[in-house]
Amino acid sequence: MNNVATIVRKELREMFRDKRVRFNAFVMPIFLIVLMIQMFGFIMTAATGATKATVYLVSGSTQLGKMIEANGLNVKTVPTIEAGIKLIQEEKAKLVLFSQPPTTDGQIKLEAYFDPKQQMGNLALVGLQQAVSAENKKALVQTLQEKLIPEAAAEHIKLVPKEVKIGEKGAGQLIVALLPYMIVLFAFSGGMSMAADLVSGEKDKNTLETLLITPVLRNDIVLGKFLSLSVVCFLSSASCLVGMVLASMLKTPATKEMFNGGFGVTPMAAVTIILLLIPLVAFFASILIAISSYAKNPREAQTYLAIVNFIVIMPAIFSQVIGLTDFGNKLWINFIPVLNTANNIRAALLGKTDWTAVTITIVFSAVLAAIAIKVAVALFNREEVLVRV
Amino acid sequence: MVRTSGLKKHFTDPKTGLKKAVDGIDIEANPGRIFGLLGANGAGKTTVLRMLSTVIQPTAGTATVAGFDIVSQPGDVRANIGFMSSSTALYGRLTSREVLEYFGRLYGLSESRLAERMKYVVEKLQIEEFADRLCDKLSTGQKQRVSIARTILHDPKVLFFDEPTSGLDVVTSQTVMEFIEEARDLGKTVVFSTHIMSEVERLCDDLAVIHDGVIVAKGTPQSIKDLAGEQSLERAFLSLVKFQAGYVSSRESR
Repeated sequence: MNNVATIVRKELREMFRDKRVRFNAFVMPIFLIVLMIQMFGFIMTAATGATKATVYLVSGSTQLGKMIEANGLNVKTVPTIEAGIKLIQEEKAKLVLFSQPPTTDGQIKLEAYFDPKQQMGNLALVGLQQAVSAENKKALVQTLQEKLIPEAAAEHIKLVPKEVKIGEKGAGQLIVALLPYMIVLFAFSGGMSMAADLVSGEKDKNTLETLLITPVLRNDIVLGKFLSLSVVCFLSSASCLVGMVLASMLKTPATKEMFNGGFGVTPMAAVTIILLLIPLVAFFASILIAISSYAKNPREAQTYLAIVNFIVIMPAIFSQVIGLTDFGNKLWINFIPVLNTANNIRAALLGKTDWTAVTITIVFSAVLAAIAIKVAVALFNREEVLVRV
Repeated sequence: MVRTSGLKKHFTDPKTGLKKAVDGIDIEANPGRIFGLLGANGAGKTTVLRMLSTVIQPTAGTATVAGFDIVSQPGDVRANIGFMSSSTALYGRLTSREVLEYFGRLYGLSESRLAERMKYVVEKLQIEEFADRLCDKLSTGQKQRVSIARTILHDPKVLFFDEPTSGLDVVTSQTVMEFIEEARDLGKTVVFSTHIMSEVERLCDDLAVIHDGVIVAKGTPQSIKDLAGEQSLERAFLSLVKFQAGYVSSRESR
């Protein structure tokens, strides 16, 4: 084991001196997490604001303007419908309202002009519909009261949402969608920049032969390289959590919007994430070593790695939208590599850790890691793979 | 001592079929002498050295290095050899000292023995002034000195040199050749592959001319010149290689 420790120390020393590794494995995940949280938070804030957007009212309906303002929307006036439509075409207005005179039965028809292709216009319409609905309800209640009919008749069925808390306090929906994906992604891509150098780089520079003619067993060489790569993959993945902490410390409206559902990474969630990450990182590190061993040089290795990275991303992407399905609770999902880990991390962040699912995922990932490391060792021991140039 | 008997290495190339890189060679290199493997590019020199250093396994035949069999005792063979080639790089992001310490530990030297050997090689090869500089920042000559230090750090009995001066300037080549002579004087067994005749004439006590994976002549440099009936080793080498080809052609034409 002394030889393995010597190789791990040397590889880690080399890796941490490599600017590419430092940037790709550690700076990048932190930077991306902070950036994405701010970006999504900004979008969320903007979307919420759009429902309270300014609406343009064609002159002549002061009463209607006051009603809309009373429901939290800003009102400006335009002289004619045509002028309002021009403002929409010039993207200066999201919504223009024209109120027709009341009909004989007292109904006011409110024409709302908007560009259906523009999301902000749609969101402003939703805000207006809520305002109109609230006003209609108020009017109905007043009528019912005048006719001495109970107010409840206006709402035959009243929907009362009640939140049910399961497990610990969890993170907000967007954090839950984003973080597992990033954690899994960087467990692989964090190690990519150095993986190409580990074996194929040594072949290319002819340093591998000097290593092969030492008395160290080839299996120990692979093990040393595998362990050092695992450390980098793990730390890269864990950097996402550091990014989360940093993002939560920023005093911006975006941060407030994103973390209003809670930070999510409770001590229990952190332990669960670490337990899930260990076999996943071992699986990824073995794949990376096997590819690096097989490739003739770092350029060839990078080509293979880019393809495999794409395959790894697929299930990770699915983990972002798994909340829209009920697959997350199915047993079989724990047998889909990568997705199983992302799904269990998601559950942990929601404070809903299912220990049976976590155990199955850990065992299954460990089995895959063992198979992958066996393949990597077999490749490393094949002389036609090792000494081909 | 290095001894081979009927050593063969055959590869299967998907495009060209079976390739006999080395096809049954017998050589013997002894302590305190430099054994040269002289051949053109692709003759099989590197493949022989790779088999002897246990990087690849022979298809057939046997070989012993420092008394150990290359197939059944590869660990013992590796513990007793040093290998150097001009194309062997160092780890660019490690300092010279770190590279030497790394290999010293991999060769199983105890910390006290490592410190003692480090002191010796650093002084011997005048590495001290750049010992703590990253290898990427070293000149070619400095890198070569570190490579030599790495090769002898564990004080191996047998040294393999695979075209060690190829691509080096005259001054650096001189350092390498002096080092090889010194290794011989220290009683090491030296096996040296090259295609440069002047190096062979200066260094080699014993010589084998290898062509297309087979040995076409063996002996001292002088005996090989005599065998070919030539004054210079270069002409002798060309004659031997052509002789083989001509020999086959003349047999076929009969």
